[in-house]
Amino acid sequence: MYYLGIDIGSVSTDFVVLNKDLEVEDHLYLNTQGLPMKAVQEGLKLLKDKYLNEAINAVGTTGSGRKIIATVVGADSVKNEITAHAVAALHINPSVKTILEIGGQDSKIIILKDGIVTDFAMNTVCAAGTGSFLDRQAQRLGIPINQLGDYALKANNVVRIAGRCAVFAESDMIHKQQMGYDTPSIVKGLCDALVRNYLSNIAKGKDISAPIFFQGGVAANKGIKNAFEEALHTQVLVPEHYNVMGAIGAAILAKEALERSGGTTKFKGFDLEAAHLSTRGFECSDCSNQCEVIVIEENGVIIGYYGDRCGKWLHSVKMPS
Amino acid sequence: MKVGLPKGLLYYRYHPFFKTFFEELGAELITSEDTNKKVMDAGIRCCTSEACLPIKIFHGHVDALKNQCDLMVVPRIMKVSNNEYICPHLCSLPEMVVHSMDHLPPVTYQSLYFNSQKQLFHWAKDVGKLITPKRSAIEIAFNHALDRQANYKRTIDQSQYSYKILLVGHDYNLYDKYVNMNIIRKLNDLNLGVISSDSIGNGILNKYIKKLPRKPFWYYYRQAYGSAAFLIEKGEIDGIIFISCFSCGIDAVITEAIKDDMSSLPLLLVKLDEHSGDAGLDTRLEAFSDMLARSNTHHKKRRI
Repeated sequence: MYYLGIDIGSVSTDFVVLNKDLEVEDHLYLNTQGLPMKAVQEGLKLLKDKYLNEAINAVGTTGSGRKIIATVVGADSVKNEITAHAVAALHINPSVKTILEIGGQDSKIIILKDGIVTDFAMNTVCAAGTGSFLDRQAQRLGIPINQLGDYALKANNVVRIAGRCAVFAESDMIHKQQMGYDTPSIVKGLCDALVRNYLSNIAKGKDISAPIFFQGGVAANKGIKNAFEEALHTQVLVPEHYNVMGAIGAAILAKEALERSGGTTKFKGFDLEAAHLSTRGFECSDCSNQCEVIVIEENGVIIGYYGDRCGKWLHSVKMPS
Repeated sequence: MKVGLPKGLLYYRYHPFFKTFFEELGAELITSEDTNKKVMDAGIRCCTSEACLPIKIFHGHVDALKNQCDLMVVPRIMKVSNNEYICPHLCSLPEMVVHSMDHLPPVTYQSLYFNSQKQLFHWAKDVGKLITPKRSAIEIAFNHALDRQANYKRTIDQSQYSYKILLVGHDYNLYDKYVNMNIIRKLNDLNLGVISSDSIGNGILNKYIKKLPRKPFWYYYRQAYGSAAFLIEKGEIDGIIFISCFSCGIDAVITEAIKDDMSSLPLLLVKLDEHSGDAGLDTRLEAFSDMLARSNTHHKKRRI
């Protein structure tokens, strides 16, 4: 008896299998690389040998690709990342009051009171203060992203980097390099800049109280965790499965959804690879909005449409003229 | 004479006035179509890149009309209420349009003061002259236009849903479905009803504005603060959603002030720009509705 959760994010696609006691039995963290369908097929293939199709009792999706993938895998619940992250954190620690989540393109803060989300905020149109900001700067410095945190911990100097915008940060960083600062100090400056940006944009005016959870892919970076602790003057907890918390939440939500409805799972099985899925896009010319509509096909049969503003493709399975 | 009326910015608030005035003067009025991708692309192409999306879209509407009319209405709206200011971009709209676009027909440069009938008539007189020399005809058209505007109420108040949200924003963000990605339908699909910030009358707003330590500088702050304070006191709403466009200087001030003033209710700030993918908006709205629904299982529901 297992529950499967899939979090299809902009940077990573995560899988989690929970057992009947809602403990993590298996987890995968795969790069999406702009091809969510392929990442999901790959993930299911990796899990195929360990679990029987019939052993999966419920499937939930979350993340920015949740709708498209829900159709493909046959999900029982499709929920946004905020709810999923909150549910997962509450499952681990029912008294959690603040969740800091930094992902590839999104960063969010969730405030909870007595186990209920009372407030949240997400970054607006700009991706400064998210994982992609760090990614870009790490590339510029020639440091693998997974070693960035260790570099920051080696710093013995404080270098201030302008963090408002990734472009400003880059020019400031180059300037500081030319002034002769060592790499670890600059990396620490970057971590401080991201945290400063996060706290003054996303978390502005929010009541951040302990226990604080730090989750999402960026939580792997010890430099950022330290910078948060220094700025907030309190301990920040990184849960064991920090990078797949969304998927854990999705699995729990799927279980809850089926318990409420009393139905059985719509899961199509692990054999998606054989199903031969493909997507293509076309520009709908029925009105002047000219929406870019995505078509998902399984073995040549259309199983879903996405991306139209009016919803007429979304709700109908018909061939584009 | 053909008069072009672009469907952007405060068109959504004052179109009955403009329509009636020009049609009664015997002009043929041409309105651009609803905002769409073509309009937005044209606006982005010709407008200065620093402007906000609604200003760019207004340029797009002008572009759609420029070869079809002999006079283009580019309203320079200075004020809509006494002692309060609207938006510096609206005050300089004719210059922005004329200097960023070529091959335009003559445009209306005259200032509009919707807070004062006397000053508004100056606009009517000067613009009316371009169409007819008869002063009496202009006066009649002006009075009819005022009447039509006074009788026009475009507000949203949906009570058939289990939760109710106050939707705060400038008229063109509330009513341009392309810019706001049809946010009202999205909210309704999540079982959230909407009251718009412009649906509360001025009498009520005045009463609640008095609670502020000083009079609002910006008109939209009056609307946002007054409607929210009134509806919260009445226990009418479960949350507030503020739609604003990226780079709006006025909203930068108002959203912060409202966040402070109305901290008792959940508030979501939605920033709009040229993005056409609505996955980000869907996520925020869905999370907001989940937050209301999940907290409801523990607290007593306030309404039927």
